[in-house]
Amino acid sequence: MTDPKQGITEAEAIEQAKQGHEAAFEVLYHLHKRRVYSLCLRMVSNPAQAEDLAQEAFLQLFRKIGTFRGESAFSTWLHRMTVNVVLMQLRKKGLPVVSLEETLEADDEAPRKEFGTKDLKLTGSIDRLQLQRAIDKLPPGYRTVFVLHDVEGFEHNEIAHMVGCSIGNSKSQLHKARLKLRDYLKFMRAEKAKTG
Amino acid sequence: MTCSDVERVLPELLAGDPDGLLHSGDGGIQADFDAHVKTCPACSDLVLDLKLIASEARQLAASEEPAPRVWVRIAAELRAEGLISDPASSDSARDEFARPIVFPASARRRWGAWWLAPVAAALLAASAYVVSHKPVSQVAKQQTATVPTTSPAAAASPVAEAVAVTPTPVPAQVPRPEAKQPAKPMVAAAQTAEPAPNSPAPNAEDRQFLSVVSTLSPSMRVTYENQLQAVNADIRETQAYVNRNPGDADARQHLMDAYQEKALLYQLALDRIQ
Repeated sequence: MTDPKQGITEAEAIEQAKQGHEAAFEVLYHLHKRRVYSLCLRMVSNPAQAEDLAQEAFLQLFRKIGTFRGESAFSTWLHRMTVNVVLMQLRKKGLPVVSLEETLEADDEAPRKEFGTKDLKLTGSIDRLQLQRAIDKLPPGYRTVFVLHDVEGFEHNEIAHMVGCSIGNSKSQLHKARLKLRDYLKFMRAEKAKTG
Repeated sequence: MTCSDVERVLPELLAGDPDGLLHSGDGGIQADFDAHVKTCPACSDLVLDLKLIASEARQLAASEEPAPRVWVRIAAELRAEGLISDPASSDSARDEFARPIVFPASARRRWGAWWLAPVAAALLAASAYVVSHKPVSQVAKQQTATVPTTSPAAAASPVAEAVAVTPTPVPAQVPRPEAKQPAKPMVAAAQTAEPAPNSPAPNAEDRQFLSVVSTLSPSMRVTYENQLQAVNADIRETQAYVNRNPGDADARQHLMDAYQEKALLYQLALDRIQ
């Protein structure tokens, strides 16, 4: 990965950052800022908090950059660090990182309420802005697992390790999150159809 | 297999595959599932919808851009912790690209109280006073340009102290008219910006600031101009939001931070031309 503006590779920037070169830190920041900030924003749904968390994630990274030996990809290292920063913040606030139930509850097996007409199938297209809004509406526990899995690409075993739940719980939470999002999106679409 | 069975096995069947393809080691379940989905429109729609949600969600990764102030604060903190070297003494100083602006080590990232808005305005006013009342050459020769030597400076000293230490009230020690009515300079600042599409013309303080930074190297000048434009835009937008939502404490804090950022931008420009 090369920063087009500075013309140095990520590996070179890492080595220079270890020596304290400001430009190198800046290169690394610009290479990864969108991923880090987007992750924080999706998890907490608050731009100001997301900025603080992104800032803290990069600061932790830069403080520890001297210990990076290249065993894993730098982006992976940063990614995990960011997730840990966010989860720690959620725990500090007392927000549930993930729900504790292992299986679908009885009421989840009941037929779900269909909002408005059944003709408005979700299949075919999703408005990205509506999806973002729907994710913001998810309960924190569902949102955490959904963002980590479907947005950020973590596997269930990784999520289970990070948030401290079982793999089964992670799968269950993800499924519930997707079902809720489907309902939210259908509702939004129905509302939009009503208003024209 | 019934619809309820489909819902029960769906989490496992969908797990672990980024494309949402159904896979299972047990050919029996998979075959039953496929057969049911083929004949059941509701389940078919459900499976397709969940796959669509998962695939669209991946597009959201790295889709948001943080504000420039995030890097500014990171750089300031790195400098304060001694993790980065002085750019003037490093090879990076010869770079032709615009350098990031870092705050002085004494700067604080965040104040917690809304009443510090007058302090930020006073710092803005004090910096503007120094810039507007001294020739550029004299400003460039100043050893300590941050503290004016006349009476506004005497009043600005507690302001500077309030910046450097943990927040304490600075009630009546800021005599400048602008500081007594903090909303005015804030509004004035909020109404100005760098000449740019759809942005107001710079106010007097911003013009003075731009005049000062015009003495710097082209890359630095552009950096400062861009930073000023960005922070002014931020102030405008946040001020408009606060006007509509006066009860939003987060928004007021954000506005506070934006003014602080602008005040420190002035401060940094003065430090650089010493």
